[in-house]
Amino acid sequence: MIKENNIKLIFLSLSLLLIILIFFFPFFWIITSSFKSPEEIIATSTTIIPRSFTLEHYNKILFNSDFFIYLKNSLIVSFSSMIISIILSVSAAYGLHKLKFYGNKFVEYSLLVTYAFPGVILLVPIYLLFAKVNLLNSYFALIVVNVLFATPFAVWMLKAFFKLIPNEIEEAAYIDGASRYIVISRIIVPLAAPGIASVAIFCFIISWTEYLFASILISGDDLKTLPVGLAGIVGQYQIDWGFLLSGAVLASLPVILLFVFIGKYFVSGLTEGAVK
Amino acid sequence: MISVKKNNIEGWLFVSPLVIWISLIILVPIYIAFELSLFNVKIIGTSGKFVGIDNYIKLFGKSKFLNASLNSFYWIIGNAICQTFFAFTIALTINYKFPGKKIMANWIILSFIIPTVVVVVIWKLMLSSSSGVINSVLIDIGLLDEATGFFSSPNKAFISLVLINSWRWSPFLALIILSGLNSINREMYDASKVDGANFVQQFLFITFPNLKSVLFVLGLVGTLLSFNIFDIIWLITKGGPSSATTTLPLLIYETAFTKFRISQAATLSIVTSFLLLLFSIIFIKSMAPKEDD
Repeated sequence: MIKENNIKLIFLSLSLLLIILIFFFPFFWIITSSFKSPEEIIATSTTIIPRSFTLEHYNKILFNSDFFIYLKNSLIVSFSSMIISIILSVSAAYGLHKLKFYGNKFVEYSLLVTYAFPGVILLVPIYLLFAKVNLLNSYFALIVVNVLFATPFAVWMLKAFFKLIPNEIEEAAYIDGASRYIVISRIIVPLAAPGIASVAIFCFIISWTEYLFASILISGDDLKTLPVGLAGIVGQYQIDWGFLLSGAVLASLPVILLFVFIGKYFVSGLTEGAVK
Repeated sequence: MISVKKNNIEGWLFVSPLVIWISLIILVPIYIAFELSLFNVKIIGTSGKFVGIDNYIKLFGKSKFLNASLNSFYWIIGNAICQTFFAFTIALTINYKFPGKKIMANWIILSFIIPTVVVVVIWKLMLSSSSGVINSVLIDIGLLDEATGFFSSPNKAFISLVLINSWRWSPFLALIILSGLNSINREMYDASKVDGANFVQQFLFITFPNLKSVLFVLGLVGTLLSFNIFDIIWLITKGGPSSATTTLPLLIYETAFTKFRISQAATLSIVTSFLLLLFSIIFIKSMAPKEDD
């Protein structure tokens, strides 16, 4: 018995070390590197503890680039996509969960399979469609696409959260004469609030990180999102690493801040028997 | 009977906004792509000659298409193996009690919430051949004699990309696996312990079978999501060296937006959608877990 516990302990420590090295160290590395002098970033001999400290890269990206324009665009697109996704998927998830209507399994599986179609397969036709209806170069073009990407999984997650709400609560409300609308807005949504919050973060992240469609559907500099702006620096022949790293850190900051406040709902929502 | 009918109408009322939104954004473009694939359109906005199924016949003879299909196949398999390994390691580790468990569970997902472009930046810097930290560590501990280019040879580039993509996705998958783990009744473990089961047996006979429905979703969605990966590959290798990392999504992108062969790209899109749809139907038909409720 003791022997087995020892083996477990060794396994646990080893995998913890591995996880920290692989999944956390890279973040330490780019954050510290973004404060290093340009010479140290590209130095061939690397030390773990930084030897220099400078704010020049942040100075450059904040006051000498289009960073704030890209940030504004990313925020507008991501927030709108998130709100539309939530409204559509709460409604759909409730329908799929509560009302066993004809064809509900078909809708449910089709939603999962919808993941087959987003991505690059739809890129050419969507580009052509949006060109036809004059939607290229607009926030709306990106929002339409982001909602498509975010909602299938959002519905799947929400359905699981709704399942956790005891049926009796809802039935008691109906007996008291509440309408469907009242039940959803006063009972279902508040009780599933942590779940809805985590799904909202999921939708926001999907939109915030989207690159492919943003790079094709938007050509005007004034409408570009952060990932597209950053990718422009990555693609340059001579990469200005300090500039790029500070940009990468700043582009991650909003999602990380959001995560500081509601991340625990996201994680506990995902892990506490959500997807079942 | 009346309530069933009412449920039908109300149910569809609830799902229809989303269903309409998704169908419009998928079906209309697919129709446009199908139409395009029957013509020979080169420049966007012009109408080409009607060529029937010519584009399709030509496609299957192209070595580029076969190469990209194979690469996509290896990409899916490679990612499935790596991500399963990483995701289970993370999930089973976090499932134990240790100091700092909450913080780790909350923040392990960091690699998933940052933009893909940032993932690219991180690994381009870490794996750089001239100044990357991975190279210097590998040299320091004696595993390498001199700095190596992780994206310079076809095989190294492919494996590096699989690892980078798995790095991004595994933590998210781990949390979903964790949700499955949490839904397993604790008493089953205690009972098995009384019967003398060790933790390998527990994993094989309790943990794994109880994760069926979670693994079904992951198998389906994970495969499709892996297939769709574009930005990580494109921004790091552009599909090279010598097309070794050109998967089908990259081939479609290249054909449409660097070579401007719109009809060819549309044909590719249609064929690829068909393949993925076929995969999904077979997967759902054969693997969908029976619902107990």
